[in-house]
Amino acid sequence: MSRIRLYLSNDTSSCAAGAERLAEAWRQRSDVELVRTSSRGAFYLEPMVERESPEVRLAWCQVTADDLPKILAGNGGIPVSTIPFLSRQTRHTFVSFGVTEPLSLEAYLAQGGFAGLRAARQVSPSAIIQEIKTSRLRGRGGAAFPVWKKWEVAATTTADRKYVVANADEGDAGTYCDRMIMEGDPFRLIEGMLICARAIGASAGYIYCRQEYPAARASLHAAILAADTAGWLESDGRPFTIEVVSGAGSYVCGEETALLESLEGRRGVVRARPPHPAQSGLYGQPTIVSNVLTFATIPNILARGGAWHASLGTEGSRGTIALQLGGRVKQPGLIEIPFGLTLRAVLDQFGQGMADGARLKAVQVGGPLGSLFTDAQLDIPICFDAFAKADAILGHGGIVVFDDETDILELSRHLMAFVADESCGKCVPCRIGSLRAREILEAIQQGQATAADLSLLTELGDTMKATSLCGLGARAPYPVLSALEQFPVEFRSRLRS
Amino acid sequence: MLGSMRYAVKTLLPNVLDDLLTRARPTQGAPPNILRVLHAVHDLCGYIDQQFIPAIAHSQGVTEADVAGVLSYYPSLNIQPVGRHRLQICLGESCLANRCDQVVEAIQSKLGIDLGQTTPDGRFTLEPVSCVGNCAVSPSVRIDGELQGRVRPSDVASLLDRYR
Repeated sequence: MSRIRLYLSNDTSSCAAGAERLAEAWRQRSDVELVRTSSRGAFYLEPMVERESPEVRLAWCQVTADDLPKILAGNGGIPVSTIPFLSRQTRHTFVSFGVTEPLSLEAYLAQGGFAGLRAARQVSPSAIIQEIKTSRLRGRGGAAFPVWKKWEVAATTTADRKYVVANADEGDAGTYCDRMIMEGDPFRLIEGMLICARAIGASAGYIYCRQEYPAARASLHAAILAADTAGWLESDGRPFTIEVVSGAGSYVCGEETALLESLEGRRGVVRARPPHPAQSGLYGQPTIVSNVLTFATIPNILARGGAWHASLGTEGSRGTIALQLGGRVKQPGLIEIPFGLTLRAVLDQFGQGMADGARLKAVQVGGPLGSLFTDAQLDIPICFDAFAKADAILGHGGIVVFDDETDILELSRHLMAFVADESCGKCVPCRIGSLRAREILEAIQQGQATAADLSLLTELGDTMKATSLCGLGARAPYPVLSALEQFPVEFRSRLRS
Repeated sequence: MLGSMRYAVKTLLPNVLDDLLTRARPTQGAPPNILRVLHAVHDLCGYIDQQFIPAIAHSQGVTEADVAGVLSYYPSLNIQPVGRHRLQICLGESCLANRCDQVVEAIQSKLGIDLGQTTPDGRFTLEPVSCVGNCAVSPSVRIDGELQGRVRPSDVASLLDRYR
């Protein structure tokens, strides 16, 4: 009997949604050939099973083990290309997701993999940096710094050794696109790092991956080995080593200087800048620290040209953004689109509104340090400039939707308690400020605070914004102050009269 | 299963730890790396006994205070033995929005312990985590590395029953 090939995602979230149970149930069957792929990111449809038809891939969604006869008979599948959540996207960085086996180097090459690196090897390091400059790519980790500027500083700084570090400490709650890349398309990250290595003259790379992502680390180890065996891990005729290093549960280690301290094996305490890591980073050597998604965006830019990338998006935000939708929406998942669509359009077109029976109360964009938006504020275009103007951040693209059962005061306390726990302790405004702010919020909850305490909370927030050493302390007040602004009654009604 | 393996390793510890720390010594001219050694010890034992601090410090050529400082900094490095099963509940914002508080309550009432505690029979250690990157299928519970998504309070009893 010939086996029917079925595609099933091996992504952590797909497995958590039931894909692993399907794999266990079907592994022994003689009529099924199971191919484990990355996930398309339409997680609300997971576990999703696909099979080839003459023209397209057909998908069966939210599958249980009992659906197998139907799938084998070819009944009830829908063409993947007709799923609006996917067809409305513009996939460039995530183009192979759901299609290929993550650890198949052949599949990566067949999809155009390493074309960017090949192009980079044809030109001078300064021409690579010029291409990145033309692309107008800004870092995707949260700071949105122009990528070419960092590269140019590292390239023009003379040193014995230079390093490329991928920041895979994706700590912002509500974000998971780096995890998807590391698990689902690890060669793309490796290719981006190799292009950077050639541009700046680096001889070693590190991927600092958070402890909470065991599957990502396993995938990276296997991909690095495969790339090395196939001879890809070299730069300018010298070996370029890539090592995966595990974090240990510290959120602030996603800040680039704290990450470097942790990579050197110490407490993940923030370093004062300048000097910036591009001048003096790991072990005092020029180091490019960039987010996983940033590196994964690079190969297409070299393969297709900086002008292609610059043609997407808005004036100050070129290219695509990977949004990660979570919380109380109907259709949570990964969305890659050009910058510029409004937050409301994203929630409507992709999220398809609220989960059954739920009503929207607030939307937090950009992780635990991101500002809260109410329904009235959702017409903001998703781009760096509009968010900066609104005192908000896009961060790493996380969007979490809260429903009307949410206690905003408790959410505020939770977010400030998180910062108080995660503060590295180096600077006073963050270390003491977050603690005092948490105490004020707890006092409000207990009905023991006065209007003067609310003023103090605002004042404290302003001090933290102005004087903290890094983004953790400087951004910590925003969610709470935006909550206070949008939902004043929830705070004031709990004050002691 | 995992628990008994850990215990078996633990009885071998002095020699195994010696070997590990010898191998972890920085080679000529290379800088020490405290966190790397702590990870290795943690992987071996499931936690880091503070009585190992002097030996770890010696292997890296750093002070005991340096090692204690790194050890106390990182939340995922346990300094107490954990239960046979590590039960992690995600408290990230997407999980919060999807009522993970009710899942926490269900687990707490089933096991009779608070976050950060181990059941008296050593079966489960209940740990809060701030996000496991499973936000699109939240709320999330991870038991011994196995992640469950879309967990409802009513799922808790049967979920826990699979781990003895």
